[in-house]
Amino acid sequence: MRKEYEVAGHRFAVVMPDNEVAWNSMGSYKPFEVEGVSDCIFTAELIEAMPDITEKKRVTVSCAGSDQARIELYEYKDEWLMELAPTMNAPVRAYLITDKAFKNARFRMLGSIWFSLNTVMMLMFAFATARKNTLLMHASVTVKDGKGYLFLGKSGTGKSTHSQLWINNIEGCELLNDDNPVLRVGDDGVVRVYGSPWSGKTPCYRNLNVPVGAIVSLRQAKVNKIYRQSMPESYASVYVSFSGYRFIKEMAEGLHITNAMVVSTVPCYMLDCLPNAEAAFLCYQTVSK
Amino acid sequence: MKTKKGYTLRPLGQEYILVAEGLDVADATRMISMNATAAFLWEEVEGRDFDEQTLVDLLIDNWNVSPETAKKDIAALLKSWRKAEVIVD
Repeated sequence: MRKEYEVAGHRFAVVMPDNEVAWNSMGSYKPFEVEGVSDCIFTAELIEAMPDITEKKRVTVSCAGSDQARIELYEYKDEWLMELAPTMNAPVRAYLITDKAFKNARFRMLGSIWFSLNTVMMLMFAFATARKNTLLMHASVTVKDGKGYLFLGKSGTGKSTHSQLWINNIEGCELLNDDNPVLRVGDDGVVRVYGSPWSGKTPCYRNLNVPVGAIVSLRQAKVNKIYRQSMPESYASVYVSFSGYRFIKEMAEGLHITNAMVVSTVPCYMLDCLPNAEAAFLCYQTVSK
Repeated sequence: MKTKKGYTLRPLGQEYILVAEGLDVADATRMISMNATAAFLWEEVEGRDFDEQTLVDLLIDNWNVSPETAKKDIAALLKSWRKAEVIVD
């Protein structure tokens, strides 16, 4: 069975056997499902057996922390092979083999279906859109008065908490996505933020988009304080909040162009904050001007 | 001295930013912003051996600055490059 989904205006396809239980783990994709068959940025097909990968050549390993996903990248024949694990020291739970254009992928899952499926789709989505004015972000997004406000920061900084502080203390706020929203620069130059099927631990899978009001990087502090970032600071804040293989020249170039366009258009701030209502008020009053 | 491998200079607004894009860079989030003059100098010496005087000469040859100003500007520039760890002595 083949199903197509559209996230941030990009269509992709998932192919798995009709009776595959993994379809049951794709509830978060439902709001993004689209009818018919059309041009897709990538197709990911589940395979039951792995090809002989003994000739794989290790390229790099990435892991942002001991409780973060580990991605081992290999070159295999003239394709990329990725071995995925949910934490730094966990065994490999999924394999992803993709052509170097990131258009046709095959994947195999050894367990942890939710982790495996979402990691495969997120990686493919991020790589296939890298040259399409699109960034798959690590952020929490709250909507107020028709504009999206992205909160960035390292894991554990309090991005979700800050979104909740806006929602609980400022009238008319709602959550758009709590972990992996998508930024896209439109042909009209407007930077919009889109919901996605990926939202971390918070089930918030909304097929909605709004123009971005501001991007706010969070840092834990003893006193609430906010300032507008310079362009290089803004660039650096956004840079560390999305991923991609920058040693792949075309990908690095595409990501840079989008990153530069985003920070040239959207005001970016640094918020030193406590997890309290005052931080939300200070932030809202500053960034909504 | 030499520029470190794995860095790419990219335009950002009216200025430039030097970002780590190579597999061999230890800290991939390290970056440094540069104005047009610094970016020009970086590109001139990238990948080859150079010293303070190389940069001073380049600055004098291409911009209308006195040797004294050039010396002072290059000293400051090298300080920032060393701090950002994008060159090796």
